[in-house]
Amino acid sequence: MFEHVLSIIIFLPILAGLVLLASPASRTVARFTGLVISLATLVLSLDLYAGFQSTGHLEFVEKISWIPSLGITYFLGVDGISLFILMAGSVLLPLVYLIFGTKEKGYYANLLIVQGAMAGAVCAADMVLFYIFWEVMLLPVFFMLGLYGGTQRLPATLKITLYTIAGSLLMLAAIVYLGVSYHAQFNEWNFAMDKMAQLNLTGRIAALAFFGFMIAFAIKIPLFPFHTWLPDAYTEAPTAATFVLSAVMAKIGVYGVIRFVVPVFDIEFARFAIILAYSGVIGMMYCGLAAITQKDFKRMLAFSSASHMGVIALGVFCMNLQALTGSIYQIVAHATSTGVLFLFAGILEERTQTRTIEDLGGIAAKAPVFALFFAIAMLASVGLPGTSGFIGEFMIVLGAVKFNAVVGVLAGTTLIIGVCYMLWMFQRVFFEKPTVHSENFKDLTLVEGLAFLPVILLIIVMGIYPHPFLSKITPSTALQFTQPSPIVAQVPASNAQNFGLTIEQK
Amino acid sequence: MIHSYLYLSIVLFCLGIVGVVSRRNVFTVFMSIELMLNAANLAFVAFSRVHETMDGHVLAMMVMAVAAAEAALALAVVILLHKHKSKLDTNVFSLLKG
Amino acid sequence: MEQSVNYLGLIPLFPLMGAVLIGLLHVFTCNRTSVPEKIYGILACVGPVLSFVMALKVFVALKGLPEASRFLSHKAFTWFSVGDLHINMGFLADPLSCLMILFVTFIGSLIHIYSIGYMGGDKNYGKFFAYMNLFLGSMLVLVLGDGPLVMFVGWEGVGLCSYLLISFYSEDRANVLAGNKAFIVNRVGDLGFVLGMSFLFWAIGAHGFDYLSLKAHANDPAMTQGVLLTVCLLLFVGATGKSAQIPLYVWLPDAMAGPTPVSALIHAATMVTAGVYMVARFSFLYAGAELAGNIVAWVGILTALLAAIFGMFQEDIKKVLAYSTVSQLGYMFAGVGVAAYSAGIFHVFTHAFFKALLFLGAGSVIYALHHEQNIWKMGGLKAKMPKTYLTMIIGAFALAGCPPFSGFFSKDEILYSALATGHFGIWAVGVLVAGMTAYYTFRMIFVVFHGEPRDRHAYEHAKESPSVMTVPLIILAVGALFAGFLNLPGIFGGDQIVSHWLAPSLSEHHPHASVFVEILAIGASVIAFAIGFKIAYSKFGQGAPEPSYKGFADFAYHKFYVDELYDAVIVQPYKAIGSSIWKVIEPNVTDAPVKGVSKLYMVLGLAFKVFQVGYVRIYALYMVLGLSLMSLLLSQSFN
Repeated sequence: MFEHVLSIIIFLPILAGLVLLASPASRTVARFTGLVISLATLVLSLDLYAGFQSTGHLEFVEKISWIPSLGITYFLGVDGISLFILMAGSVLLPLVYLIFGTKEKGYYANLLIVQGAMAGAVCAADMVLFYIFWEVMLLPVFFMLGLYGGTQRLPATLKITLYTIAGSLLMLAAIVYLGVSYHAQFNEWNFAMDKMAQLNLTGRIAALAFFGFMIAFAIKIPLFPFHTWLPDAYTEAPTAATFVLSAVMAKIGVYGVIRFVVPVFDIEFARFAIILAYSGVIGMMYCGLAAITQKDFKRMLAFSSASHMGVIALGVFCMNLQALTGSIYQIVAHATSTGVLFLFAGILEERTQTRTIEDLGGIAAKAPVFALFFAIAMLASVGLPGTSGFIGEFMIVLGAVKFNAVVGVLAGTTLIIGVCYMLWMFQRVFFEKPTVHSENFKDLTLVEGLAFLPVILLIIVMGIYPHPFLSKITPSTALQFTQPSPIVAQVPASNAQNFGLTIEQK
Repeated sequence: MIHSYLYLSIVLFCLGIVGVVSRRNVFTVFMSIELMLNAANLAFVAFSRVHETMDGHVLAMMVMAVAAAEAALALAVVILLHKHKSKLDTNVFSLLKG
Repeated sequence: MEQSVNYLGLIPLFPLMGAVLIGLLHVFTCNRTSVPEKIYGILACVGPVLSFVMALKVFVALKGLPEASRFLSHKAFTWFSVGDLHINMGFLADPLSCLMILFVTFIGSLIHIYSIGYMGGDKNYGKFFAYMNLFLGSMLVLVLGDGPLVMFVGWEGVGLCSYLLISFYSEDRANVLAGNKAFIVNRVGDLGFVLGMSFLFWAIGAHGFDYLSLKAHANDPAMTQGVLLTVCLLLFVGATGKSAQIPLYVWLPDAMAGPTPVSALIHAATMVTAGVYMVARFSFLYAGAELAGNIVAWVGILTALLAAIFGMFQEDIKKVLAYSTVSQLGYMFAGVGVAAYSAGIFHVFTHAFFKALLFLGAGSVIYALHHEQNIWKMGGLKAKMPKTYLTMIIGAFALAGCPPFSGFFSKDEILYSALATGHFGIWAVGVLVAGMTAYYTFRMIFVVFHGEPRDRHAYEHAKESPSVMTVPLIILAVGALFAGFLNLPGIFGGDQIVSHWLAPSLSEHHPHASVFVEILAIGASVIAFAIGFKIAYSKFGQGAPEPSYKGFADFAYHKFYVDELYDAVIVQPYKAIGSSIWKVIEPNVTDAPVKGVSKLYMVLGLAFKVFQVGYVRIYALYMVLGLSLMSLLLSQSFN
């Protein structure tokens, strides 16, 4: 059974979700099923994590020939890079079932399906398989947003769906191009990742294919200027959907760049890395600045999420070991901090029936445990040393400084920008005097507190003792930089500048 | 030698097209369609004569049978149309307008 | 060769564990039962006192080692290791950090004991001590860390705790805003720190990113003058944020919104000195970059001047002391800037004693007058509060630099070093500020304690504070009085014990100037003190009414409107940009292509709608046209 653990992790939730949808189950049954299945997936994932050997290559591989005439295989595997995205999803999703108890059956069913689909996207090592899961991932979100969202949900749903699909279409064209090129070069059809990395691509069409992939991923991450679907979608989505979008799905965009774009399009990547890096940094500042004047705290958190994703994306574009590892670590840190903040926002909204910051106040006095947990998650989001958010952020800035001094300095401003809007919101919601809406705010119940406790502890443990986590990531990221036939460009981008400082090139 | 038959066939076909496209009365449209069919028949028979085979004759017979069946159906549709709108003007039936 | 000792890690761990314990106790009981204050008080003081005992143990152990290898280190665990970046969670006790932890834990413990009395009756008593312990633990991590990154953990930790403690009375928006300001301005400095660390790492950090390795590689070819200067200046930006120098000092006066023990601990004795400690710690870098040192020294002394000017006109007793702190910090930076690292650190040491004393004394006064902070409502308190008065007078003499109090020796050492290394401008400004210091300090003392009480009602109810508050004052007064003798310069027959103790940690070259220069420096300091004291006595000694300020005095009273300037130039534009981004730019610029695409679809749809006429005849025509076109093309291809 444990050879196929990945398949189970992917398909168990999907099947359970589909069965739930088809059957006339009640809400409680649906929630209970969802909880059980997601906990089962969690147990399997933990088992996988424990058995992971950090060799740097793909592990737990399953490879079955699917469409031989086109070389499409059912090829799954995890390595240090995808392991943590998988774990983030498995660990955090059970929380949603524990916390939100009064939703429709379809809500829970869609949540299950999206969990399986995301796991599939992360574990897929064949391009076509990845594309399939990428598209499937979007469907449950469409339904959750459209059926269970807020008052302005319809335009938001349409925007996110159409925008993402448009990007995916470009990616499909690029995948087809890659398949055809492979066939032209090696005389066989194959879409598996390890084979694609050996492709030699030149010319303008290669650059177009590169952009095809990059635009699809840029829309998902979201990278400036393809982020405009985000504020509305995150605000109008029901909390669980926002959580899923922010905590896991956005990361799959980054993962896609690392897994599919970097090994295959190494020359184009090196050429355009500086533009992409600036895109990430400008996105971080843009969204961070927009966050400070928001009146709705969910919208503010949405901009915050986009801002942090800009930094994470930057880590990938800096093309050095520290920045890339920092990026992957920050992926998990961001999921635990910002994702959890969205869940807390959901609790706030449910109990006070309002999302306007001005309407709230003095919650720390009424609910000290909630305030403490919220504060820890907020500090992790801001990147305080001792929490999970610091390690990744520091390594990304470090790597960015080496890549290009200007980008590095701008990237560092996330320290300031992040703090401004978070503190401003925290102060108005938790400190000061209680208002009409927050007078009867009840603290976290025992179930909720116990549900959040492991994640909060994880935030602290990841900040103080990251070594065991990092030691699973570093073999895979190191591999990206040491292959003799470069899987990743080893030369920094030709237009990266170090202003007159003779920093040692490693 | 055969040319005169073909010219006649073409002329009849074009007259048929013009009739289908430009006439407003439903019956006139169907008559034009019948005209087009018969023009095609003429061409088939003429070519059959040129190539000294029976294929064209056979096809002409088939076309005539099809024309008859189609005429029956068309007239049934015309009756329904008339029931619906009490008019037989093609301009009236424009629900497909975008 | 250093020895590895496990107990180094315990020094910060005790207060941190105390913080967790007290914090959890508070969070789970504050809305249900009420825990007696005594329990919190005892729990709170256990950690700092134990840390002090351990610090003494470290000191004794270090004394036993030969001077050349006076290090104790402990690598607790590998924090993270990625490629060339190897960071351990490690601690290093050398003479410099040993001195720091001694006075940090000692004064920290005293302030905790004092707070037991001061904070009595507050409903968030437990929360206060949790934060204070957390602060002390973070400060110890900062000082004991064996590399810049571990220091940074403590650095941010103390920033967080100062935010939490400044906005402690959180129901009032003004206090919370003051806390925000502190955290955000600190963060601006932290940006400089992080960038400085990054450049430092890429230059020489591959061999190990801890102080000992960095010091060993400080002269590598990769460390060019440009990189060295950049690193030193960026690190100094971090220091200006934490230690409230120009231009990032604006948070410290606002930070007086917190309870007075907080001001004593964080803003007088310990946290703000982290910046000076950092420059001293990186003396092996600054020693090679003279330009950076000069910039540091000038920024420091100018800050000292500016803050002294403000201090002369303030009416809130805590604000006077706040600006005084900024000013004295400026002196410390002047000291380390002219490469007199041990002088700067020695001033940190003495300043800790007398400034904590002054703040706690001010707290005693505020407590007695039921939270009145305006000096123009006080007066004649020396009769009612003799212990407070006596101890504060000692603190005031120390601050003003009157021999033989501690402040005189440390300040004089800095000014002498400035003069001896040829920095005449710095020395001259320093002497001027010394005079101003004496003036504003004694202005405060005379207005508060001498003359007739200005507010009879408050005066009637004032009485001396309980001994849990006055005993720490007395202990600190002893320190303020005698600490100076620990670094007595040769001209007075002393051995400069502290400077020699610190020598292994610092890359310092002590200047040797003639006796004449020494006497000039000492004489100028004493004369400046005397002039300042005289002016203060003549204006305020016999009790004076509240002055009204005009012209320059009014300008200085309003702190040169610097806060308003920052608000107008930085804060409001920042908010305006944020607002315009999501209201104007987002809908019209970045979203325009997306909206444009959907509009394009609409337009195209409208264009194609023209062909859907609905008339069957026209559709028949389309069919005919299409078929004819196709047959034409087909017939062409058959050719």
